Amino acid sequence: MLFNSIEFVIFYIVVTLGYFLIPDKGKWLILLIASCYFYMAFVPVYILILLLIILIDFWVGIQLEKQENPVKKKLLLTISLFANVGILFFFKYFNFFNANLEIVLNKFHLQPWFPYITILLPIGLSFHTFQAMSYTIEVYRGNQKAEKNLGIYSLYVMFYPQLVAGPIERPQNIIHQLHEKHPFNYQLMSMGLKTMLWGFFKKLVIADRLSIYVNAVFNNPKYHNGTSIVIASFFFAIQIYCDFSGYSDIAIGCAKTMGYDLMVNFRRPYFADNIQDFWRRWHISLSTWFRDYIYFPLGGNRVRRGRLVMNVMIIFLISGIWHGANYTYIIWGALHGLFTVGYIFISPYLPKASTNPIIKKLQSLIGIGLTLVVVTFAWIFFRANTVEDAFTLIRNLSSFGAKPFIGDRISNFAHCILAILILFLVEYKLEYLPEKFNLFTAKNRMVRWASISLVIFLIILLGVFNGGQFIYFQF
Amino acid sequence: MTNNRDIIKFLISLGLFIGLLFILDQILGWSFQNLYFRQKVGQFYQTTYSVERSNQDILVFGSSRAVRHYAPGILSKNLGLSTYNMGRDGQMIPFSAALEELALNRHKPKIIILDINPWELDISPEKFEKLTILLPYYAKHKELLKYIHEISKFEDVKLLSKTYPYNSSIFVLAACTLFPRNQGQDDHGYVPLSGSISQANFNQILSMLQDRYAKIKGKENKMDTLARKYLVQFLDLAKKDQIKTYLIISPTISKDYFKWDNQLKQKSEIESIGKQYANLTYLDYSSDSSFNNHPEKFADQFHLNESGSKEFSQILVQEIKKREGK
Repeated sequence: MLFNSIEFVIFYIVVTLGYFLIPDKGKWLILLIASCYFYMAFVPVYILILLLIILIDFWVGIQLEKQENPVKKKLLLTISLFANVGILFFFKYFNFFNANLEIVLNKFHLQPWFPYITILLPIGLSFHTFQAMSYTIEVYRGNQKAEKNLGIYSLYVMFYPQLVAGPIERPQNIIHQLHEKHPFNYQLMSMGLKTMLWGFFKKLVIADRLSIYVNAVFNNPKYHNGTSIVIASFFFAIQIYCDFSGYSDIAIGCAKTMGYDLMVNFRRPYFADNIQDFWRRWHISLSTWFRDYIYFPLGGNRVRRGRLVMNVMIIFLISGIWHGANYTYIIWGALHGLFTVGYIFISPYLPKASTNPIIKKLQSLIGIGLTLVVVTFAWIFFRANTVEDAFTLIRNLSSFGAKPFIGDRISNFAHCILAILILFLVEYKLEYLPEKFNLFTAKNRMVRWASISLVIFLIILLGVFNGGQFIYFQF
Repeated sequence: MTNNRDIIKFLISLGLFIGLLFILDQILGWSFQNLYFRQKVGQFYQTTYSVERSNQDILVFGSSRAVRHYAPGILSKNLGLSTYNMGRDGQMIPFSAALEELALNRHKPKIIILDINPWELDISPEKFEKLTILLPYYAKHKELLKYIHEISKFEDVKLLSKTYPYNSSIFVLAACTLFPRNQGQDDHGYVPLSGSISQANFNQILSMLQDRYAKIKGKENKMDTLARKYLVQFLDLAKKDQIKTYLIISPTISKDYFKWDNQLKQKSEIESIGKQYANLTYLDYSSDSSFNNHPEKFADQFHLNESGSKEFSQILVQEIKKREGK
C-alpha cells in the first residue's frame, strides 16, 4: 500500500479511529494487525519472511539477556546477524553475486552452472532487517532490555508508518513508547497531520513532477545534451530528496498523530556546506546506523590516517551496496567515500569561518554550492540505469550550447520550476529563519488555516496523482 | 477529562476546517471551470469544441499524429465535406473512443477517420492516465465515467473536489487567457509543425532506432487487451451508425519504423481487426515511398511537417475520392 494512494488515506483513517476508540491494553494489537495488513497489501506471502526474522531475533534477544558467557553471547549475536544478513543477501544480492562470480570464473575458462532466482525483492527488506539487527546489537551491548512480549517486539519491527522505508529506528527510542499509554493529544494530532501534509506536498507536487523530466533524460542518455543533463541531474537531486524525505515526513507525522515519536531522518541536506555536513543531514537514521554499528567498531576517527581512509571507504561502499545490487550504487557510494576522505584531508587547510558576517555568508554559500555540485554529480550514478549510461551522461555533459530538452509540454517544465521555488522558500525559512514566518504553527488561526488550505489546493492543482512509487521502496 | 475535551476540540476544528475547504473548493472550482470553458484558443478550446460542438461531415480522431497530419482545409475543399480534426497530442485510442462516443451521441458524421499507431496497442498505463484531460467534462457528460475509471478506480472519489479536474492546467490556462495571440491558431483542429529534419539528424535517428532494435529484437511484445477493446468499441460504434470509416496508419520516416520499434505484431492486429468491418477501409502509409527516407517532410521522427502533412492530405483526398466514387 503506497502512502500516496486513496487506499492509504482510508486505511489511515480507519486505523487511527480504531486506535483511539479501543482501550489502552489493546492498542498495540490493533497497530500490529494494521501493520500486517499494510505489509501484506504488497506481496502477502512475504509476511512469512518478516515472521522468521522476528522469531529469530526475539528468541536471540531473550537468550542474550539470560546468557552471561561472553563467547555464547557472541555466538547468539552472530546467529541473529547471520539470519538477517543471510535473508537480505538471498533476496537482494544472490543474483548479483552469482553473475559476478560467473564472470570471474569464465575468465578462467570455468563454466559451472549458476542458479538464479526470479522472485520479487520483499519491499523494504533492507529497512526492517537493519532495524531488527539494531535490536539484537543493543541487547548484546546491554543498552536495551530484551522484550518479553512477542507482540510488542513484532510491532517494533513492523510498525506500519516506518515499516517499508524507515526511519530505521533504534530499540531505545521506540520499544518503550510501544509500552506507554498514548491518549489522544490535540497538539500531537495537529502537528502530525501537518507533517504528513507537507510530506504529501513533497512527494506529489515536487518529486513526482520532477520525475517526468528526469526519466525522459536518464532513460535516453545518448540523446541529450549537457544542458539537459545538468538540469535533469539537479532535478533528480531534488526529486530523490523530496521523494524520500516526503515519505519520512508522512511516516513521522502518521506516528505522531497516534502519539509516537520517530527519529528525524532529514535536516535540509542541500544547505550543507561540506560533504560531512551533508551526511549529518541526509538519511540520518541510516547514517547513524552505519556510524554506531560499523564505523565506531572499526575504530571510527581515532585511528591512523590510512585506517581512517579505509574505515570511511568501507562505510560508503556498504552504504552504496545497501541501496541495491548494482555497480551504479557501488560507484555512488565510492564517490561519496572519496569526497569525504578528500574533505577530511583538505579541511585543516581551508580558511576558518570569517568574523565578518558578509564574508562568512559568502564562505558558507560557496561551501553549499560546491557540496551541491559534488552530491549532484554522484547522483548521476545513483539514478543512471547502468554504469554505461552514467558514463554516457558524463561524456555528454560537455556538449553545452544546444537547446535544452524541455519535454513534451512546456507547462510541465514550468510546474517543475514552481515546485522547486516553493521548496526552496520553505527550506530557507526552516534553515535560516526558524522563528519567523511560522505559517503552519502561527498563533493566529486564520493564518494557520489559510496556509494549510494553500498547501492542500497546491497539491490538488499541481500534484501528480499517478500513484508513483517511492524510490526507496525498492531498497 | 482533558482527553475528551481534546477530542471534542479537535473534531470541532476539523469539522470547521473541512467546511472551509469545501467552500474554497467550490469557489476555486467554479472559477477554473469558467476560465476553462471560456477559452478561445489552445488545446483546451479544441477539446471543448470536439466534445460539445463538432458537427462536421468528416471527423478525424487520433493522437498527435492526427493533429499534425490531417489538414481539414484540404479535405473540405477537395471533397466538399466539412472536416474537423479532433486529434489530441499525447492521447491514444481510449481518448479517441471517449471522444467518438460523445460526438456520436450528438451528431452523425458522414466519414470518420481514425489515425492509429501500432504502439497504441502496447502495454502502457500512460495512455489511461492521460485521460485526465476528460475530467473537466465529467460534470456534464456522466457517460465518461467508464473512461475515468480507467485512470484509477478512485477517480470519481477525487472528483468530489471541484478543483481537481483542473489539476496540472494552471499554466496552460494562464498562457491562453493572458496571451491568446501568442497561441498558435489551429485550422479546424489541425496544428501543423514547422521545420524539417536535417540529413545528419535523420541518420542519427535511424542509428538510434537500429540500436534500440538490436536490444529489443525478438522480445515478446505483449498486447494491451484493454486498448484493443477500445479500438474495437470505436469501430463498432461507427459500424452501428453505418458511418464510413477509414482506419489509417499515416506516413513514417522509414518503412522499417514499426519493425525497429518491435511493433509488427500490433500492426498486423490492427489490420486484422480492420478487416472485420464492411464499412471500414484500412490504409497503411507507413511504407509509402513518397515519405519514407524524406526527412525534409518531417518535423521530428514521429510527425510530418506542414508541407509533408499537406502532401499527405492531398494523397488521402484522392484515395477517399476513389473509394467514395467522387
